[in-house]
Formats: sequence, C-alpha cells, structure tokens
Amino acid sequence: MDITLRINGATYAGSPEARKTLADFLRDDLNLTGTHVGCEHGVCGACTVIVDGRPVRSCLMLAVQAAGSEVTTIEGLAPDGELGPLQQAMWDSHSFQCGFCTPGFVMQATAFLRDHPDADEQQIREALSGNICRCTGYQSIIEGVLLAAERARQS
Amino acid sequence: MAGIVAERYTGASIKRSEDPRILTGSGRYVDDIKLPGMLHAAFVRSPLAHARVLAVDVSAARALPGVVAVLTGADLEAMTVPGQDPLFAMMGAGGPMPEYSLLATDTVRFVGDPVAIVVAESRYLAEDGCELVEVDYADLPPVASAAAALDADSPALFANLGDNIIGPHKRSEFGDVAGTFADADRVAEFHIDVHRHQNVPMEGRGCVASFDADSGLMTVYAATQSVHITKMGVAMRLGLEPGKVRVLAGDIGGSFGLKIGASREELAAAAASRALGRPVKWTEDRSENLAASGHAREESFDVRAAVSANGDLLGLDVKMLLDNGAYPVMGTMVPAIMEMMLPGPYKLEALGFESTAVATNKASYIAYRGPWASETFVRERVIDLLAKDLGLDPLEVRLRNVAPRTDPPAVMITGRPLVGLTTRESLERIAQLVDFPAFRSRQAEARARGRYLGIGLATFIEAAPGPRSPEPPSGPMGMESMRLRLEEDGIVALFTGQMPHGQSHQTTLAQIAADEFGVPFEQVRVVVGDSDVVPFGLTGGSRSATMTGGVALHGARQLKTKVLDFASHLIEASAQDLQITDGRVWVRGDPDSAIEVSEVARRAATGEFGADVDANLEVEAAFDGGEGGWSGGSHCAIVEVDVETGLVTVQRYVVAEDCGALINPAIVEGQIRGGVAQGIGAVLLERSAYDQDGNYQSATFMDYLVPTACDIPRIEIEHLQTVPLDADVNFRGVGEGGMIVAPPTIVNAIEDALSPFGVRIYEQHLPPARILELIAAQR
Repeated sequence: MDITLRINGATYAGSPEARKTLADFLRDDLNLTGTHVGCEHGVCGACTVIVDGRPVRSCLMLAVQAAGSEVTTIEGLAPDGELGPLQQAMWDSHSFQCGFCTPGFVMQATAFLRDHPDADEQQIREALSGNICRCTGYQSIIEGVLLAAERARQS
Repeated sequence: MAGIVAERYTGASIKRSEDPRILTGSGRYVDDIKLPGMLHAAFVRSPLAHARVLAVDVSAARALPGVVAVLTGADLEAMTVPGQDPLFAMMGAGGPMPEYSLLATDTVRFVGDPVAIVVAESRYLAEDGCELVEVDYADLPPVASAAAALDADSPALFANLGDNIIGPHKRSEFGDVAGTFADADRVAEFHIDVHRHQNVPMEGRGCVASFDADSGLMTVYAATQSVHITKMGVAMRLGLEPGKVRVLAGDIGGSFGLKIGASREELAAAAASRALGRPVKWTEDRSENLAASGHAREESFDVRAAVSANGDLLGLDVKMLLDNGAYPVMGTMVPAIMEMMLPGPYKLEALGFESTAVATNKASYIAYRGPWASETFVRERVIDLLAKDLGLDPLEVRLRNVAPRTDPPAVMITGRPLVGLTTRESLERIAQLVDFPAFRSRQAEARARGRYLGIGLATFIEAAPGPRSPEPPSGPMGMESMRLRLEEDGIVALFTGQMPHGQSHQTTLAQIAADEFGVPFEQVRVVVGDSDVVPFGLTGGSRSATMTGGVALHGARQLKTKVLDFASHLIEASAQDLQITDGRVWVRGDPDSAIEVSEVARRAATGEFGADVDANLEVEAAFDGGEGGWSGGSHCAIVEVDVETGLVTVQRYVVAEDCGALINPAIVEGQIRGGVAQGIGAVLLERSAYDQDGNYQSATFMDYLVPTACDIPRIEIEHLQTVPLDADVNFRGVGEGGMIVAPPTIVNAIEDALSPFGVRIYEQHLPPARILELIAAQR
C-alpha cells in the first residue's frame, strides 16, 4: 500500500505491506535503526516514537496507520549532531549502560516533559514505568529527566 | 565537543564516550546490520516438552514464494560437525557428554527446542514459512522437575547417557564435618529452594552470518561477550579453519551471561549462509528469548548447620540438586564454584558439600550474573534463620562469625585466603548508615498501626579477581592481554578482547590509559569487537576492572617507555629525562622542548632513523592480576509488606561496597544499582515458570515480569576503599555483587516484616500470592 508521511521534518513515501509494523518500516525500509525493537508486544517501550505529538509503540502500530502522520524518531532529536537538552542531561547523569532501551526512554521522556515540565520524581517514575531498562535500576535515568526539567525551568 | 579537564581521569565520574552515539540512535546493534543480498531466518520450534520427531514435512514451506531454504535438523547434521556448546567445551567440564544435534533430529527436549530453520527474503516471510512446516511428533513423558529426573525410571533425555544424571553426584568435605556436627550445641536443618529465572537483556540474541564462497571466509556479525569464543564455536561446529572465521561485534544490548560463544541458532544461521552463499540474519524475538535462550538458578538445597548456643556458626553440610534443563551449557560447572564460595567471609570449621545435576525437559541452565549466587542466598538466609532460632540479632551473628582480617590472612575452609577482607567494615558501616535501633522503634510503632515493616541484611564476597594462589601460575584469573599502539595521529589505541555490552569499557580503559600515558582522555581509542585485530578475551566474571584495567595501566606504561626511547632521538635528551603530559613529550624542567606525541608518531612512521632505532610504537602487554583481592560488601533493605494484598514495597536500600579503587564512581554505581534491581526483580516478580507437564508459562512480558521504574527505590551507595594490596592495580570487579546479594537481603527483610506471624521463608520467589500463602499458613 502506498503511503506518505513526514518523519523528523522530511517527507517519505513508501509501499509497506499492510501487515508491516511502523517499527519495521522505519528500521528496514527507511534505515532509521535508532528505533529499537525489544519485545514486539508493546510492553517494553524500546520502540517508542512520537506520532502526531503522542508517544506510540511503533511495534504495535502498522506503518499504513501512520500514513499522513508527523513522526519523530530518536534521529530527529539531534539532527545536527548536537545533543538536545534531555539527551545532554542524560549524558551528564550517566543515565544508560547498554543503550538498547535508550531511544524509547528518550522519546517517552521527551513527550512527557513537554506536557509536564514541573513533574516530580514520582510522576516521572510513573510516566516511564512503561519502559523497561534491564541495566540501570532506573535511578540514573530518573536523575537525567529531573536534571533536564530543572535546567528547562532555569533557562 | 569540549575537552574534559581533570587532574586525573581515574577515580572521576568522567562522562561516557559511548553515550553520544546511544543517545542519538546512532549506535550499531547487530539487528541494525544490513548486507547486500541478506536473507532472514526464523526457527520452527517444538511446542512440546519431550517428544520423538517422527517426520518433518517442509514441502509447503519450501513452495512459499520468498522462502529460499528450509533446513531441518537432519540437513544441518550433514553440514556441520558434532560438538558441545562452545562455553561448555572451553571450560573442559568433565562428566557425561550428552549427544545431541545442532537442531533437533529425532527428539525434542524442551518447549522451544529448534527443529528447522526457514530462510527467506524477509523475516515476515520466514515466519510465514515456519507456519507451513509440519512436524509429526510422538509424545514422550516429560521430565518436568529435578525430582522426577532423579527417578531411575524417568525417560532418559539423551539415549547415550541412559539416565538423566548430567552432573554426577559428588561429595567433598573440608575440616572434620562429622566431629563438628557431633560436638555442636545445636544442629538445624533447612530445605531451601531457588527458583528458575533469567537474564532478559533488552536486546535478544542475534547474528548476521556472511559466507564468501570465493575466499572461503565466514564473517559473523555477532552479539557476544567474546568475539573469540564465538569464533571458536563457529569454526569448530562448521568445520572451518579458525583463520577462515572472523567475528565482528558492535554495540550489544545487554547480556548478563547469556551471549557467550555461539548458540545453536547462530550456528544454524551460519551453516545456512554457507549453504546458500548469501548473508543470513537471525534476530531472536522476545518470546524466543524468554522460552528458549536459556534460564538460570533452579536449585534446591538441603542444609544442615552446626551452631553453638551463643551463635558461632561452626559447620555447614549442604546437598544441592541442580535442574540443568535440557542441554549442557553452564549448569554442570556451577556446583564446583558454589562449593568453593559457600563459606563466604565466615570462619567455618567444617563444610560438607555435595551436588547432583540432572537433565529435565526445560530450557538449558545458562550463566546469569553471578552464576553461583545461590551459595550466598543459602548462607545469608541460613544465618537469619539461625539467629531467629537462637534469639540473636542477625547483625551480631554475622559480626561474630566474620573471619578477622589478619596477616597472613585467614583462609576459607575451602582453601582460598581471605586477602583484604572488609566484610566487618561494610557491616559496621551499614549499621551506622541505617541506625537499626531507630528502625526497630519505627517498626514497633508501625506494627501497632497494622503496618508491617521489615529490615534485612546480607553480605557477600566475590572473587573479582580473588586472591593469588601460592603456587605458579599465581594470577587469580589467568592472564589478560592487550595490544597498545601510538597511532600516527597521536591517538593511543588499545586493542582489547573485552566485549562491552553496557560496562563502559570504552570510557574506563581510556581513563586509565590516558592517566598512565599522559594524553587527554579523548586521545585514547578503545578498539573492541573484531577477532582479526583484538587479543583473546571475555567480558564476564567481573574480571575486567582488575584484569583489563590492570593491563591497560601496565601496557600504557610499557608503551610510554617505548615512545620515550624513540623520542630521545628527536629531542636531544636521554629517555629518562623525558616525560609525557597532556599529549606532549618534553624534557623535564624545559617546557620549550615540548613536541606533540602525534609529531613523535609521525616521525616514527617515516623510518628516517633507520633499522637500528625501534620505531614500531606498539607493545603487547599481559597482566596476571597483580596481588588480586576480594571484592565484596553488605546490603540492607527496609521493606513494607501489605498483609492484605501481599505486595512488598522496598522503602530503602543501602549498600556499603568495597571494590577497591574506583575507576569511575558513576559507572561503578550503575553496575551496583543494576544488579540490585535484578535481584529485587528475582524475589518479587520474575519466574521462568513451567507447568507440571513442562509447558512454558512465561513467554511474554505480561507473564515474565521485570522491574519497572516504580518497583526499584533509590539505592544509597557507600564506597569503602580500605585495603590497597597492589602497588598499581587496586581496581576490583563490581559487576555481579548486586545481583548476588540483593535476593537474600530482600528475603531477609520480608521475613523480618512477617515475624509477628511466625513466618519462616525457605525460598526466593515471593510474589504477592506467595506472601499471602505464607501468612495464611501461620493463621
């Protein structure tokens, strides 16, 4: 099926099979491999991307359902190579280890902070509780999000 | 990027050089690799725990457009060499050698056992093809528990063994076991179970195998803890000369012991690539990972403990039964490590240890972060049970029994000296941090209001690297090699066999080498993941802090000597008068003499000084672990148990840990917290569950629950760095300790919370339903 959508500000056209997930379409057809697939059943959150402003599990959405949408992936957050403020705060906080869950956390937290700039630690933990990290015990990730929020408030 | 300014990098929480790529999605994991003409593999897997394979009909699958090949177990048997798992083969584990094929031919032995590989133009088509493969099975009675496997009448999983004993019964005694138990004031007996759970890295297993028929070269892009062990496995099982196999690895999405060597699926993908002359990718999906990648830790222990009335732990006598699952990987190697480690930091007079490992119709027992951890669970659980029986305080019982730090050091009853033991210090520090008396009054007030708080304590030691042995070869963990080279652009390149998958070696090794050689952190490059260019090595066993940190330090020192020798031809001075700081070589006391190390490297490359001057600015270094020493620490948890719902909340978690000198505190703390989170998950959530017929029950993340950000508290960490043992290298490993000691810490706390009900706990998995059962059993 022919579809057109905007990803990270650019227009893409493609013809994915109707059954192809958005995650596989991004990774296989468009080579946007920053989006990772961790469970393929919508629990781990590694494949989270932002579709029309909302965080979405791209393993549970079909590519054809994204036709006409505006999609942001991890590659869209630092297009010129400079880290965005959340990414910078996560770097400063030693947020991650193996990095596989990272794109999903960054996308989920990006969407959450945009809507909840004053969130406290417990709210951030709840907002990120649909994303699984197996390496860190989460504390460093939470600290990264808190640091980004704090810097945003001060600027 | 701005330069990092630090007096010394080592010891500072330098930001990771891995992070810019992983934070922007530009890391390169194995599933990101796409090669021209690449095909995709999927596996037909057994839906039954134990069955004969009567027939495999692949005709419909082969006829599906887009399917390129379907290879059965019999097909693969014809194209590969029989053998064992590479880790099992490398460790030289003796005992029974079950005979089995790469993919099942005549028998399937667990739910998920691979039967055929379907190779197609896309993963979607490969899975379509799997649906069309018809396998005719004849049920065999499942051997679904270790107890069943011990029954001589249980159907043997492996025809060549005749029974299901895969690790034969063995008993060892240290000290006078009979006499110690006969003289003890009291002998207590417990049966303790540790449940089956598993690694669950966020990235499953996977590979891209690419065989080039013209050169005969097999290239495998792997997710592995060791490119060389994977290479050994591929060469051995495919019958290739090792020189014809190259294994490459990029970023790896976690492992925790899972991705060592080459799995049966990866070997099948490589064989398929050779047969088809095209690259073949296999990416494990989550259900395959949960059902078939391997499980850990299903053991049971019959424990007898000899104690004095005032709380001296005199002797332990432990019988372990290990459920190995189907195939030999790690299970049969674990009992010997448990035996050696079981005394821990305590001054036991006697230890009896016996073990049997059995094969069952479940996924294979594999290495998982601290594979021997159950010895710590048993010991630390038993100490709390004994303390309760004797009416003593668990902290006091531990302090009473910890071996003193003496010179020469006390020796474990199993033979290893307790060099640099700081268990007492970590226990005392925990007591200061937590304030037990204050907690006890808070606990009493809470109980009066119907709320149940509990406190738990546990301690561990880890041989990371462990003590030197008195006889040569004396290194505690064998040798570690590294090649180091000053590149023409002034970069100091370290070639290491470590294969990081979250451990941050790219950062930590650069910190050490930058300090020792005298260049900025950014001027060190850590090269990993190419079997053609890195020395042999393995990331595992918490070895890299000491072993690789040590070889980076000594190797950088060697390289510096060599560079200064050469530089003495450029700067009119003797090498002894030269030094390197901040990337420049200069005569001590004469800043005007300074030249950049890149200039030195460039001049070396010109060959202008002729053959008499050694201008090859490269060294091969090796390190034996130096003076070694134990890593260890004590953990304490405060939990609340909701006795109506069974829900356990971890309110506070405190760690006092000694891993020697810290290379990068933030990275050390990440290792500790991640391990503790896995340990909390093991107790409160995670279980690789089978039903009584061997059907797997936990093949999704809705069934196998791992902790989320709401389940893990802030973890407070105190570092003790008390005992420098070596002149240079006092970094000790910290990768496994959190996972080793968190389960007894949490269980001890839960039992303490439930003490008003008289609950005693002899198991490790305590989800809400089980908590309610334990309370109900006392009512």
